[in-house]
Amino acid sequence: MFVIFRDLVRHNLEFAIGITLMGIVVAFTLLSFFSPVNPTHIFVTMPDRPPSWTHLFGTNSRGQDLFWQLTFAFRNTLMFGLTVAVISRVISITVGLLSGYLGGWVDRVLMFVNDIFVAIPTFPVLVLFYFVLRSNLDTLTLALIMAGLGWPFDARLIRSVALGLKHREFTRHAVFAGMTTRKIMFEEHLPYVMPIVFATFMANMLWSIGLEVTLAVLGFTNINVPTVGTTLYWAINHSALVVGVWWWIVIPIVFIVIMFIGLFLLAISMNEYIDPRSRLNRMGA
Amino acid sequence: MEATLTVRGLKAYYQTKHFGVDREVRAVDDISLNVRRNEVYGIAGESSSGKTTFIKVLAAAVRPPLGIVAGSVAYRFDGRTVDVAKARQAEIDAIRWSHLSYIMQGSMSVLNPVRRIGAIFDDFAARPLGLKGDAFRRTVVAHLSRLKLPAEVLRAYPHELSGGMRQRVTIGLATVCSPEFIIADEPTTALDVVVQKDVLSLIRDLQRDLGSSVVFVTHDMSVHANMAHRVGIIYAGRLVEEAPTRTLFTAPKHPYTAHLVASLPRIGDTRPRPALEGRPPNLADPPSGCRFHPRCPLAIERCRHEVPPLETVGPDHRSACWRVEDVAPLAGTIGLQEGRTA
Repeated sequence: MFVIFRDLVRHNLEFAIGITLMGIVVAFTLLSFFSPVNPTHIFVTMPDRPPSWTHLFGTNSRGQDLFWQLTFAFRNTLMFGLTVAVISRVISITVGLLSGYLGGWVDRVLMFVNDIFVAIPTFPVLVLFYFVLRSNLDTLTLALIMAGLGWPFDARLIRSVALGLKHREFTRHAVFAGMTTRKIMFEEHLPYVMPIVFATFMANMLWSIGLEVTLAVLGFTNINVPTVGTTLYWAINHSALVVGVWWWIVIPIVFIVIMFIGLFLLAISMNEYIDPRSRLNRMGA
Repeated sequence: MEATLTVRGLKAYYQTKHFGVDREVRAVDDISLNVRRNEVYGIAGESSSGKTTFIKVLAAAVRPPLGIVAGSVAYRFDGRTVDVAKARQAEIDAIRWSHLSYIMQGSMSVLNPVRRIGAIFDDFAARPLGLKGDAFRRTVVAHLSRLKLPAEVLRAYPHELSGGMRQRVTIGLATVCSPEFIIADEPTTALDVVVQKDVLSLIRDLQRDLGSSVVFVTHDMSVHANMAHRVGIIYAGRLVEEAPTRTLFTAPKHPYTAHLVASLPRIGDTRPRPALEGRPPNLADPPSGCRFHPRCPLAIERCRHEVPPLETVGPDHRSACWRVEDVAPLAGTIGLQEGRTA
């Protein structure tokens, strides 16, 4: 594992840059565990201070230190994105492989459900959930809801690959050798769809974080939980740019861009590790 | 000698129902044969003659729309008889790979491109062998060295091996459990002649070592001449002739076989080879009577109406033709002389 990691850093520039950027973001979020301030308290320092040595990222109009505030915001946002992506990947892999490989009525039932989820408009449903749950809508609940909505397109994608794999010689070979269906799906076919899963994993994280920001900016989430979205919500609410508190908006956005670029680079270099053919290509063998 | 495989009156049809129209393709129609212990049985036939369907049935890989309509396919392993035409799935799974194994066509696509060879061996052979960890690895490595493959291939991906190595891995995969019966479906078709020779001698050596029976399917008659003890010729879903290899090549008793053998090039003979008129029949609507009669130079009125039975015409030699006695003179006219082939 370490050797793979070292080779990737050494031979793969995308991976090296991606891991550095994500390392910065993750290290930043880990600082939240050493935070001297409680992120939910307001007016604990002088508001609207520009960046300085005492307040590295300045302070916002609510009297909070932006540096420590953002460590919490990014930790929550990152965890949120990961949770959504992991759960929705599990659903889409299971549905996609089952319906692609088994076919028949299993396929028809699963794709019927799948197509219902494709047709559901995500945003209004999330707003509806907010109005029903109100303050009970914490980050985890929102993540579960979005994971439940974020899988159908990728399940279709994985199904299409599984449909092709089903008729490949090596599958017939495996069936003939008496391999169980579970083993064929999760040991023979899963490695094949892994690059797709990774690519969609990152795409899904970007989608869920983007949607969370949208909801938060409009005030449709629990605005007392610090996330990237709620940070921007408060910044807009206090007309940060008009007042001249530019650091309240610019610093979170720079960090989001770093995080997105890092995720994207990791995704494409990860594909290279998983697909042995493109890895070999790079090694020049 | 005792028969490892006994096929009796086997009929396997493709049956489809689309928009209320029933279609039936009689890909295997009334085939009976025996394969003995420690024997290489060659099956020859042109494309769409039903030979692939036939081995699918032999391998118990029958799936709709293909169905077995009649007959039996009985294997005898360790004194127990398993009729795969009727057996339950569990019984078939129990004999697969450990007793009945399959070398597939096209070694590139048979191996999962994203799994290492070692993992593939684990997937296929660990369960039937009943071994784990180090003991399993030792067995596999010993078997690979028999195939002149280094143990390092276990760490390789299929695309890192050459075509010949890959085919040897496929053969190794099929034979690692020392099966009593091996079905080889055109194992050399995609290989060049040098590799082909290696692979063929490998299969023959393994067959001799393991003492297993092999059903060898290919359309390449020269491979049959080299490999098989007996050869069966399939035409339009029927077995038309079956004989020991030498007899089949020197004294065929069916006009189709006579033409097939006469079409093979021979060293020193520069005459053009006569081609048989017409095409193999559509199996959805086969000709009445003998299925070869529209193309047969010997056809008489009887061939149009009555199906010739497969009858013994010599020692170990069966042929399905109403005019068996007239085949030898025909063979002379199309350039087939006794003792000059094979």
